[in-house]
Amino acid sequence: MRLALSVFKNCISTVFDSADQLLIVETDEVTNLKKIPLKFVSAVPLERVAQLKDNDIDVLICGAISRQMQALITSQGIVVHPFIRGEVDSIVSAYKNNQLEQAIFSLPGCRRHGTGVGFRGQRGKRCRWR
Amino acid sequence: MKSIRPINFFSGNSGSDQNIILDSIADGVFTVDKDWRITSFNRAAEKITGVSRNEALGQLCKDVLKADICERNCCLMSTMKTGEQIINKKVYIINAEGRKLPISISTALLRNKNGKLLGAVETFRDISIEEDLRKVISQKYNFADIISKNHKMLQLFDMIPDIAAGGSAVLIEGESGTGKELIARALHNLSSRKKFPFVAVNCSAIPDTLLESELFGYKAGAFTDAKKDKPGRFKMAENGTLFLDEIGEVTPSMQVKFLRVLQEKTYEPLGGTQSIQHNVRIVAATNKNLEEMVKQGHFREDLFYRINVFKIILPPLRERLEDIPLLIDHYVNRFNTLQKKNIEGIDEGAMSVLMSYQYPGNVRELANIIERAFILCKTGIIEKKHLPENLFASQTKESNAEGESLRDVEYKYLLNILKQNNWNCPRTARELGIHKSTLYRKIKSLGLQLP
Repeated sequence: MRLALSVFKNCISTVFDSADQLLIVETDEVTNLKKIPLKFVSAVPLERVAQLKDNDIDVLICGAISRQMQALITSQGIVVHPFIRGEVDSIVSAYKNNQLEQAIFSLPGCRRHGTGVGFRGQRGKRCRWR
Repeated sequence: MKSIRPINFFSGNSGSDQNIILDSIADGVFTVDKDWRITSFNRAAEKITGVSRNEALGQLCKDVLKADICERNCCLMSTMKTGEQIINKKVYIINAEGRKLPISISTALLRNKNGKLLGAVETFRDISIEEDLRKVISQKYNFADIISKNHKMLQLFDMIPDIAAGGSAVLIEGESGTGKELIARALHNLSSRKKFPFVAVNCSAIPDTLLESELFGYKAGAFTDAKKDKPGRFKMAENGTLFLDEIGEVTPSMQVKFLRVLQEKTYEPLGGTQSIQHNVRIVAATNKNLEEMVKQGHFREDLFYRINVFKIILPPLRERLEDIPLLIDHYVNRFNTLQKKNIEGIDEGAMSVLMSYQYPGNVRELANIIERAFILCKTGIIEKKHLPENLFASQTKESNAEGESLRDVEYKYLLNILKQNNWNCPRTARELGIHKSTLYRKIKSLGLQLP
């Protein structure tokens, strides 16, 4: 299970389309977390998606993301949790505890995305770490 | 989340008055305090960002605006640091529905009546319609990286797919820097040969003695150090296109060899004994008048007719002045991307200088002028002072005509001033202090052709 977060410093990057850094969070069976920072090689949507795919990402948590970019990523079977904000550690722990839907983690005006596009049809399989 | 009351920064106005004022503005406006938290947010801002005022107030501006520059090149932060306004900077935001919108933003410091710094204000405008229109126009005037709205060039754009589809030799004539190789590449890319190589050879750059081996290759043992076979450009371009640039510079002996290659469709590598069949489309280019060279006996007539199956003449830039603003826009965008700068364009003074220059080096020279201006330009706009001095010398020379008839002087003066005003007749008339109908009469009587 590989979770990716688009980050800026220790927070979720506000805009995924222009984000530079990715943080891959891996977990093993004893729920030890391993964090791997990664730089995006390109801003071109197709190359960005290919990089996520090459890194075997299953779930992406990001800030604001354009519809086209999100559609491209989901078309590759990657689950996207868009329009999320907050510090990396709290986001990872909220994800583990299925609490990403909380208003505190949503960008202003974007709560419907949190409960919509990214989560639709994923009930029960949102977090497989527990 | 921290709750912040709107700051009443318009002295004498109540908070609701302030909202009425802000809501009546068509541009999005929001203000931030020194901690980057939004203190006021107008109706247009709600519409553009998709975030309601209630949700926006008290939030970090980056979380509400969601612009591509928020984290690394924040305009508000820059204004707060330097105190300098930023005007009409183009950025992208992602609205609450996930739509990527181009907006133009301006920032300024926000102070109270005592001059105390309260924060900053940002105004922004949705420019997606302008951007869409700009794209439509640039697509219309852009053909395989060649940008023009000149009627001759547009005719050429219409013809190129048909010329490309045929397999015959093409001769491209045009001054240096007019884009001969771009046309040759377009012909190749639009033809059925596009999957095969496009090989360009500058005939004048290679000495005649080497040109033969370079084009046709050589066999091992053809000369000292020829230890193994080397394929020539013809071989490399097999099934593709061979672009022979500066064909007018080729010596008579080489012209004979070319003639045979074109006539027989075969060539012999240096030191070889067998002729090799080729399937290469020849596109030749020259900056000389080959027909004139044929008349003077400098170029073989039979070779001329072999390569001149279809002739494309590229007009010099001075004959397509209407392309100059388009090209400037194109190069400003290109250098902004390459050099990671944010130059918005050029001002009117610089534009009039560029419009009245003769461009002996054509589009390449214009590109160099813009690149040079990028080095010198520290502000957001290219001005006259960023342009090379030789551009102004040509302007002065043009206006200092001597020994000419009054009509000639009038003609040149009017032409010059029209160019400076971007062929805008009402503006020219205003500058000359005459009525525009008088100007039109003058243009007609002098036989001036407006583009």
